[in-house]
Amino acid sequence: MNKKIFSVLSLLLVASMLLTACGGKPAEEKVLRVWIQWGDNPQQIQELFDKYTAETGVKVEVTAPVEPDKILPALTGSEPPDVLVLSGGDLVKSYATEGLVVELSDIIKTGGIDLNDFFDAPLAQCKSGGQILCLPWGADMYALFWNKDMFEAAGLDPETPPATMEELVEFADKLTVRDAGGNLTQLGFLPDQGWDHSDLYARMFGGFWYSEDGTQLTMNSQPMIDSLLWQQQFYTKYNADEVLALSSGWADAYMSADYPFYTGKLAMYVDGEWMTGPNFISAFKPEASYGVAPFPPPADHPERANTAVVQGTVVVIPAGAKDKDASAKLLAWMMSPPIVAEEFCFNANLPTSKTAAKDPCFTENPKFKVFTDLMANPNASYIITTPITLELTESYGLVFEQVVHTGVDPKSLLDQLQAEFEAKLQEALK
Amino acid sequence: MEELRLRKQKWTWPPRLPKWGFRERSNFKIGMLFLLPWTIGFLVFTLYPMLTSFYYSFTIYHARAPLEWIGWKNYIDLFHDKLFWQSLYNTLYMVVIGVPLTLLASFICAVLLNLKVKGQSIYRVIYFLPSIVPTVASAILWLWILNPQMGILNTLLGYVGIEGPNWMSNPAWSKPGLILLGMWGMGGTIVIYLSGLQDVPTSLLEAAELDGANWWQRLWYVTVPMVSPITLFNLITGVIAMFQYFAQAYVFRGTQDLGYPLNSTLFYSVYLYQNGFLWLKMGYASAMAWVLFIIILICTILLLKVSERFTYYAG
Repeated sequence: MNKKIFSVLSLLLVASMLLTACGGKPAEEKVLRVWIQWGDNPQQIQELFDKYTAETGVKVEVTAPVEPDKILPALTGSEPPDVLVLSGGDLVKSYATEGLVVELSDIIKTGGIDLNDFFDAPLAQCKSGGQILCLPWGADMYALFWNKDMFEAAGLDPETPPATMEELVEFADKLTVRDAGGNLTQLGFLPDQGWDHSDLYARMFGGFWYSEDGTQLTMNSQPMIDSLLWQQQFYTKYNADEVLALSSGWADAYMSADYPFYTGKLAMYVDGEWMTGPNFISAFKPEASYGVAPFPPPADHPERANTAVVQGTVVVIPAGAKDKDASAKLLAWMMSPPIVAEEFCFNANLPTSKTAAKDPCFTENPKFKVFTDLMANPNASYIITTPITLELTESYGLVFEQVVHTGVDPKSLLDQLQAEFEAKLQEALK
Repeated sequence: MEELRLRKQKWTWPPRLPKWGFRERSNFKIGMLFLLPWTIGFLVFTLYPMLTSFYYSFTIYHARAPLEWIGWKNYIDLFHDKLFWQSLYNTLYMVVIGVPLTLLASFICAVLLNLKVKGQSIYRVIYFLPSIVPTVASAILWLWILNPQMGILNTLLGYVGIEGPNWMSNPAWSKPGLILLGMWGMGGTIVIYLSGLQDVPTSLLEAAELDGANWWQRLWYVTVPMVSPITLFNLITGVIAMFQYFAQAYVFRGTQDLGYPLNSTLFYSVYLYQNGFLWLKMGYASAMAWVLFIIILICTILLLKVSERFTYYAG
């Protein structure tokens, strides 16, 4: 091969590599990219944002759902989305510590976003000192679900849920059934059905992982111990191994007609507002006869009635977003009550806007209204987060399993956790 | 003469290479051109990330701020980290128990599939099929097979009067469950063994038979030593793969936390992933990666050294 052909080939190779590297579109109309971590209905979300395009002429491209693993590379990379909707607020403070998300006070001011229109509990999870790191969009609340048919079969009044946590234990006992061979066939209550609800129980016992301002760890406080011991009895009393065997695989049947709550294997459990909407129970088991009520307080603390812990989606603007003004405008539009109402009416989640919550869609269905009321209740609380939240949650998860699933005494494990993570918290808050 | 020239060359510096003609030079250039895609891929996607991670392992990683140089601290912290030891133990459990068990089972399968019986090729297909099922799909499938309530395995065990364990929620059984999952997909190893078995010289087997060796003796004294290089190959690739065990464990927990139950499935790579991609501790994760690299390196060298005495290379 002569030199000429060689040079031409090399040039072609280099040129093709350069072309692939560019790959982008030439300067054309502006496109804003919105990533949404959760997203049961990507089509519907895109249609919602198409309205923004119709109003403003700015094109919006929605990616949903986004796997959790992709969030961090996106935030640290050179092309982050213009607006990012996270499934929960637990990581926001870690991201802020790393400088990955924008503090929103200015954007809120210029965008004319009315902070007074937000319910307190969901907004609180976005605040850090005087800073606002995210804005809550949709919210979730949790309450007690009970199967009326199973109540009747156990001789309980199907219209009356337990009024206290103590009564719930008694009810659960009556609703737990073994067959003639002594095998466990039905559970009255499973405290961690689906996932761990320790946050709710700890609030009911009057405490949390942290002090209210998030500066002290209170892992080995009495409410934390009580919450674990209270949950433990639903395993140890009926032989933890048998309970685990019976309930294994239940979580995976969540979006199907085989869910134990419909099939008569689980009489009471804790779940969120979306279950009462059109996409869950009424889709999988329309004939299910069930009730929903706020989770009951302990007998000696009736003032804690209607306590619930809010979770749900929050919106952040990545620090690397190219055009912050455009992101800010889109954020303000997303937070406007009609848009909040439309989006969360469709998905049967709670709106974080007080104005949006007046929409009949959130108040017509009496079961859904249980949650709307919980959100507006002064006892509504939230998950306190810190920069160590994720690591602590992971370690707490291990303690939870040891205590609740294997019957270990929680005190010494929580003491260890307290010692280890108090130091980490103080280090992270420095 | 040739030898003399080479020896002479050794001592000159810079080495005087034989003068290339036009043809050689042009061949060299074309050869390099063909190597280019791989070389670029290697430099950009393997060597550069490796060197960077080595640097990161001595720092606290910040995505949008300068890295903080902390010297050996990540490595020192690693040795005081309970979860590091737990994940190392879990991984070693899989390496020490899972790999030999899988090797043994696939050797037995290969020997059986090598028997001249009717429908031999059908059996081979059946045993190979699971290995083409994608990892994630097979893990989800086994999640249901091992379900203690409705799973087929415990149901079958129940027919013979054995009460099957809580495969997924009992920490003592979660790793054996994963080993079972792995053995189901050992088709690749079986095929390699099968090809090795074809290479065992029939003359040796016949000679042994003439000497009065029974089937078992022929297997033990002829076949096993003759396929020992295959065993070594399968062993080393198996050990390396097991040290990097990730996907199955990631999927197998279902909707539970990583490591469920009780961190019994928190394998080394899973913990590394957790540190790097979930807790934003990229420097610490990089240190973990380098420790793993060294562990695998030592294990491989040890295996190669020890195996010298047990491996027979014909010719």
